[in-house]
Amino acid sequence: MAERLDFENLVACHYQPLYQFAFSLTRDEAESCDLTQQTFCIWAAKGQQLRDLSKVKTWLFTTLHREFLGSRRRQTRFPHIELEAAESELPEVSPLAVNRLDVEQLMTALRKVDELYQAPVALFYLQDYSYKEIAEILEVPIGTVKSRLARGLLRLQHLLADASNQAPTP
Amino acid sequence: MRRDEARIILLRYRPGTTDREDPDIREALALAQVDDKLSRWLADQEECQQALRQTFQKFKAPEGLLQQIISEQAASQRAATNQQWLKCITLVATITIVGIIGGAIWLAPRPQADDTLVIFERQMSAYALRGYTMDLQTNDPEQIRAFLRQRQAPANYTLSKPLQKAALIGCAVEGWHSTKVSMICFIVGKPLAPGTPGNFWLFVADQASVKDAPSDSTPQISKVNQLVTATWVEKGKVYMLSTTADESVLRKFL
Repeated sequence: MAERLDFENLVACHYQPLYQFAFSLTRDEAESCDLTQQTFCIWAAKGQQLRDLSKVKTWLFTTLHREFLGSRRRQTRFPHIELEAAESELPEVSPLAVNRLDVEQLMTALRKVDELYQAPVALFYLQDYSYKEIAEILEVPIGTVKSRLARGLLRLQHLLADASNQAPTP
Repeated sequence: MRRDEARIILLRYRPGTTDREDPDIREALALAQVDDKLSRWLADQEECQQALRQTFQKFKAPEGLLQQIISEQAASQRAATNQQWLKCITLVATITIVGIIGGAIWLAPRPQADDTLVIFERQMSAYALRGYTMDLQTNDPEQIRAFLRQRQAPANYTLSKPLQKAALIGCAVEGWHSTKVSMICFIVGKPLAPGTPGNFWLFVADQASVKDAPSDSTPQISKVNQLVTATWVEKGKVYMLSTTADESVLRKFL
């Protein structure tokens, strides 16, 4: 019974951010629910192997990301894109315009970001993870996280600028 | 560091987090302190970042997902437990059945080995009584030995003195498992019609072919079918002398 309560507590603590992360990756509600559930199933089967319980959250996110990559492996090959710092000019996005955006608009913009950058950007905003933690979750070097973040955030800024320009002003 | 480079770096800066510990961000923040334009941009950027973070975090999972995960996991655990029970029950049942079958086999009366002395005596007596055909009809003991030797049946047997004097009429070779048994036929008493089977028979077999043959040369008298028989062992051979006469007559030829 205690074991079940522990599992319930664990799910209750982490299902929201995991679902948000899954949705930022899959852009599909049903698939995100499945990914979240699958992650907890794997925890139920293998979670006891994790000795450092402070790493539970990271473990869950890493597992979800692995599952996502596993499901996508046959479908997509991520392109390798190097960051060129001055490739694009930074668009002007006002805080006022950003404040007017709702969740749906924001998620729509995130969906348009290249798939390679979505995971670091989602973790960056959804969970306030440090670069090191994002690197651990995605199992990539910290330098890669930084470059992917910069690239993804730049793209997001462009998309938000477009969205705010198209939005009717009150 | 140029201003545009600093802007790109500061895109990933979240105030109030550990991002400030990143060396590139530290350098870009230092530049912002001395660059008014960058500083103004950073102030707007921080506000934007804060708004984005708040908006992103408003995004919620569908209602019911929590219960769905918990209930499906509980169901899957129940199924797994049931499967384990089923496996245990199957294992216990299998072990029990195997045990019962093994025990039954172990405890079941085993069929009597058919190479024992009793069976030998019965089988040889049956040969004598059922109307056999002699393979060789002669009263010459040497011919009989030669014939038996040729047929790879025991030929170097020993005859008691009374038997040596008994009327020899022939011999036959009988089978006993994978070995051969010499059957030497005699007539004792008044002469019988020619071709009539004898009334005294001596069977000789290798001792090793009869499982519980007597251990010595003292004849064991017994009644087998309608015959009286004496059985003994001598020099690695089992002898069985049988007759339709009574025991007293038999004893005279031992």
